[in-house]
Amino acid sequence: MKILAILLLLSAIPTYLQAQTLVDNGYFADQIASGKLPVLADRLPQEPDVVELSEGFSPGKYGGTLRLLMGKSKDIRMMMVYSYARLIGYDKNLELVADIAKDVEVEGSRIFTFHLRKGHRWSDGHPFTSEDFRYYWEDVLNNEELYKFGLPKKLLIDGKPPKFEVIDEVTVRYSWDQPNPFFLASLAGPSPLFIYAPAHYLKQFHGSYADPAVLAAMAEDAGKRNWAGLHHRKNHPYKYDNPDLPMLQPWVSTTFPPAERFVFKRNPYYHRIDQNGLQLPYIDEVSMQITSSSLVAAKAGSGESDLQGRYIRLDNYTFLKEGEERGNYTVRLWQSGTGSQYAIYPNLNSNDPVWRALVRQREFRHALSMGINRNEINQVIYFGLAQETGNTVLPGCPLFREEYQKNWSQYDVKAANRLLDNLGLDKRDKRGIRLMENGEPMEIILQTAGEGTEETDVLELVGENWRDLGILLFVKPSQREVFRERVFSGDAMMALFNGIDNGMPTADMSPGEFAPTDQTQLQWPKWGQYFETNKKAGEAPDIDEAQQLLDLYFKWSKSEAKEDRETIWHQMLKIYSEEVFSIGLICGVPQPIVVNNQLNNVPEQGTYSWAPSAFFGIYRPDTFWFR
Amino acid sequence: MSEKHYVSAAPFDPQSAERLDPAQEKYYLASRRRLIWWKLKRHKLAVWCGFILLLMYGSTLISEWIAPYYYQTRYSDQIYTPPQKLHLFHKGEFVGPFVYGNKFNLNMDTLKREYVPDLNRVEKIRFFCKGDPYKFWNWLPSEFHLFCPAEGKTMFLFGTDRLGRDMFSRIIYGARISLLIGLGGIAVSLFLGLLLGGLAGYYGGWIDSVIQRITEIIRSFPELPLWMALSAILPVTWSPLLVFFGITVILALLDWTGLARSVRSKLLALREEDYCTAARLMGAQPGRIISKHLLPGFSSHIIASATLSIPGMILGETALSFLGLGLRPPITSWGVLLNEAQNINVVALYPWLILPVVPVIVIILAFNFFGDGLRDAADPYK
Amino acid sequence: MIHYVIKRILMMIPTLLVISFIVFVIIQLPPGDYLETYIAELESQGESVDPDKIAYLRKEYGLDQPFMLQYFNWVKGFASGNFGYSFEFDLPVNEVVGDKIWLTILVSVVTIMFTWLIAFPIGIYSATHQYSWGDYGLSLVGFIGLATPNFLLALIMLYLANRWFGTSIGGLMDPQFLDQPWTWAKLKSVLEHLWIPVIVIGTSGTAGMIRRIRANLLDELDKQYVLTGKAKGLAPGKLLRKYPLRMAMNFFIADIGSLLPSIISGAEVTAIVLSLPTTGPMLLTALQSQDMYLAGTFLMFLASLTVIGMLVSDLLLAWLDPRIRLQGEVVQ
Repeated sequence: MKILAILLLLSAIPTYLQAQTLVDNGYFADQIASGKLPVLADRLPQEPDVVELSEGFSPGKYGGTLRLLMGKSKDIRMMMVYSYARLIGYDKNLELVADIAKDVEVEGSRIFTFHLRKGHRWSDGHPFTSEDFRYYWEDVLNNEELYKFGLPKKLLIDGKPPKFEVIDEVTVRYSWDQPNPFFLASLAGPSPLFIYAPAHYLKQFHGSYADPAVLAAMAEDAGKRNWAGLHHRKNHPYKYDNPDLPMLQPWVSTTFPPAERFVFKRNPYYHRIDQNGLQLPYIDEVSMQITSSSLVAAKAGSGESDLQGRYIRLDNYTFLKEGEERGNYTVRLWQSGTGSQYAIYPNLNSNDPVWRALVRQREFRHALSMGINRNEINQVIYFGLAQETGNTVLPGCPLFREEYQKNWSQYDVKAANRLLDNLGLDKRDKRGIRLMENGEPMEIILQTAGEGTEETDVLELVGENWRDLGILLFVKPSQREVFRERVFSGDAMMALFNGIDNGMPTADMSPGEFAPTDQTQLQWPKWGQYFETNKKAGEAPDIDEAQQLLDLYFKWSKSEAKEDRETIWHQMLKIYSEEVFSIGLICGVPQPIVVNNQLNNVPEQGTYSWAPSAFFGIYRPDTFWFR
Repeated sequence: MSEKHYVSAAPFDPQSAERLDPAQEKYYLASRRRLIWWKLKRHKLAVWCGFILLLMYGSTLISEWIAPYYYQTRYSDQIYTPPQKLHLFHKGEFVGPFVYGNKFNLNMDTLKREYVPDLNRVEKIRFFCKGDPYKFWNWLPSEFHLFCPAEGKTMFLFGTDRLGRDMFSRIIYGARISLLIGLGGIAVSLFLGLLLGGLAGYYGGWIDSVIQRITEIIRSFPELPLWMALSAILPVTWSPLLVFFGITVILALLDWTGLARSVRSKLLALREEDYCTAARLMGAQPGRIISKHLLPGFSSHIIASATLSIPGMILGETALSFLGLGLRPPITSWGVLLNEAQNINVVALYPWLILPVVPVIVIILAFNFFGDGLRDAADPYK
Repeated sequence: MIHYVIKRILMMIPTLLVISFIVFVIIQLPPGDYLETYIAELESQGESVDPDKIAYLRKEYGLDQPFMLQYFNWVKGFASGNFGYSFEFDLPVNEVVGDKIWLTILVSVVTIMFTWLIAFPIGIYSATHQYSWGDYGLSLVGFIGLATPNFLLALIMLYLANRWFGTSIGGLMDPQFLDQPWTWAKLKSVLEHLWIPVIVIGTSGTAGMIRRIRANLLDELDKQYVLTGKAKGLAPGKLLRKYPLRMAMNFFIADIGSLLPSIISGAEVTAIVLSLPTTGPMLLTALQSQDMYLAGTFLMFLASLTVIGMLVSDLLLAWLDPRIRLQGEVVQ
């Protein structure tokens, strides 16, 4: 009896403590009254994540609908990006902080132990436990039919998978033989690596758990050939296209695609509360309207969006500013987070032997880079608000050094011409265009994904600059897929695309963008493919410096100490900027963000980029509230 | 008893009843062509429109002289200037045509470029002057312009675009491409229409049925999706000139059906005429019959129909360029210019970039009214 | 009459089949297939794609089958309402298309009625007062509609409607009504938005129709019986209404055949600019991403709409014009 009493008392303590400070939301009053939902104390995990807001940000109140505008129905995946609940995520200062997981222990960068929150539930009320991790590991990732081609690359180090262990109901462990510096970063990414899935929901679609006849019927209904296709179709948490799928995010989808408007409602079992005991998110609903991307600026300008950065560019700023009063919003200027707004990628894997030989000489790339008047581009297109740069990290980044930005990006036509002359390109035709080795005039065809007037304008200016060097530039826009295809196959001479994706990396983030690791890197697609497919396709790098970058990348991926990583980063950045493997132009372009005047806790300044900020993600929209 | 009939003793010419007075004689002896011209002249609007068309097509021959700037010349410090007004009087005095210089200020609050006319800077326009260098028809270098801004100054009658290029000049240069696409397209369309319509009308039978089916199928297709799909096929590696020709062919491919139909129906009607039967009985070859006897009978109708199809081509090019499927910069056509004006910033803040729509409307109206007049006049014997 | 109707309907089927074949060919013409889009998308998310996986996916989606087989599989499904699978949306095409078909028909029908309402009186006036200022003036108004590129007009009207009337930009109704059941408020919102596309699309069709009515009516007015009527002393108004107008009605109805394709085509562009929930915008993205069954189904639908419309107009014409009924074919 006494023991029972003591046990009861002990178990009541957490609830007692919580009951002191919890404030439930009127939104759920009906459901709680009718018994469909438990009270707040029972919906939260025993140790919820208590959010401490920093200086300048205030805790808020419940209520409101956040209206967002998107340009195509696939954009509902932005919900996963913006709402940014991750096992472990980045905070505002790009430090890794446990979020869904209560705690993450890392040993030697190769053994990762996740401690979940006891009592944490999925959005449908079912408990979130290590079973969800086990199911995903054993029954999904390692299932012959679901993952015919093996585990996702992000989970393999040296081609070897980790060892997965369930320690107890709330603890799981992944262990690799070699250090895996990519693991946590990919869990925290805008499109995160998933290592868990709602087992209780998905088992009904799994060949080992469900009745084969029932499965076959369901698969056919959904237009799939077999249960594997069905299972995949139901389990796309990133795509947010299955409202039946239980989630851990602050808002859950309630609309089946296709639709013109998607409504996301608050997750009653979300694991975060604020310091006053309110369960996040403050905002009850998010409404995403799908419209055409060219109309977004117009709609935002008439106040139809409460928080908008997507599909808005700097040239919309004046128009948006004029509509501020009518639309009841303010336009803030954040910073674009790409290393260079646009970068020119000479194709080192070009099929044309003459061109390839030319572009492999670093003096040629130096000349091309020095021949561009970046200041004029800045003044004409960006009102002088941006900065001239090579394709490297941003000035705000701890790894930044001025030489990376300035190397070979000063405008010096004379020096550039001299370099070209010294390369033996001193003969010109009667138009003044230099002749290449084979007597052909130097006409460069530059491929772009043709997505806007900004690109055309930048290239117009670049083309004029290069004319002074005796080079003719032709721009060929095409659809994104065709554009990629041309570059990958080696047909393209040169391409224009965004610069370094993550312009604000820390030493712990992967330097993969600066080495030939990925086929989508437009300057060396075949070398990247070689790495990606583990030497099965593509070509090995045959420029020393590129191979050096690759070696340094391997070194980084094996390193454990932060200082080592920093040193390697600097070495890579130095080589990359001296070789000018891609030509950067402008960075720090201001990004206008439209914010409804009633919406609080949206930072005045921020970095707007896909990785690592997940656009609004790291600023935690679940803490935004309406006055 | 007989009453006296009154018979005049004045000289009487028995042929006079049948003789025509000069005006009538002129009318009855006039050739068909002249008759058409006279009937056309009655339609005053058509005549005026004909003039306008002549003027516009004529301008494409000397675009470089008319435009004060080359279409690619840009001024980084004169981006998005509004149109400058032409004045004749400065402070009450007659000075000749001039513009006021602009004072520029970049408003850092709204990131707006603000231009205010400076009433102290009188910049007189020069005529028959040396100005912006260019290559006449892309071949002969020259600097001659019919009118240019004051020495060392700038003049933007229709304002500038986002790179600081003169809109007036760009519209003039754009005329060349847009108008020529109309002509090119109609040439292809005419060829196809005459050929297929002629075959169907003259030979009849199964040839006619097959061609009828084909025209029906093509006509039942909504044009735009077909254009979109066809334009996606044009290889992106083609030079702008080839793309230009490709587009005209694509536009024409969907347009010839109207012409074919009218050719066919006219031929069917005329085929049964007596003079045609006579020619056939006398042993004339089909070719001769068609060209010497049938063709003149409906040539004016065909010309009228063709004229009325040109606006469709011009609009088609505009639509395709708008969708990004037709011509692209650096080729400048009215369609390309309008595509660049197709965003909310322009509509709200820089509406002068929409000016290319004015010549489009004018040309289309002109073609329509002129074509109407031609068609009314085409059958002068009615 | 029945004979004629049956003959026309039967003739429609081979036409539709040929159209479906042509549509399929056109969709397949651009190089590459949906997988290119899919791969590009994966790569933009940082996932690389194994060449083996691509081959596997190609088989899964049936993209490795020969052209004719793909075509037959697609057409086979028509009878059972199965129009293939949309790769973009990961759903069967029927589920993706849904309401869009009805909305397209709605917009097209309203536009056609608007065009009739405007064109008919103007055409008649023009014909009876040929070469007068009224004739010129009204024709001018009609033609300006034709001459203005409708995508530009759409954008301008969108902006002005928002400034002057507070109408929300784009779409067919205010966002909050998007998935709500039909109420008066929703209807009002739809009407508020509907007039812009109708005017934009309608104005270009109006001019052509005005001209055709005018021309046909002029032809009729030249005929003997009109002269006889005038000589016999019939009042001009009565004369007009009793005889030539009835003849003009024939051409009016027959004209739907020429009107439909241009209205539907104009509707597509306008829908893209205005972001209407009709087939236009979706068709454009489907063509761009090579989502072939979706694009093919849309094109088929649009072409069928036109063919059926022309059938309806031919049938109406047959009903109106006894000559056709009796002779079994249209008299030129």
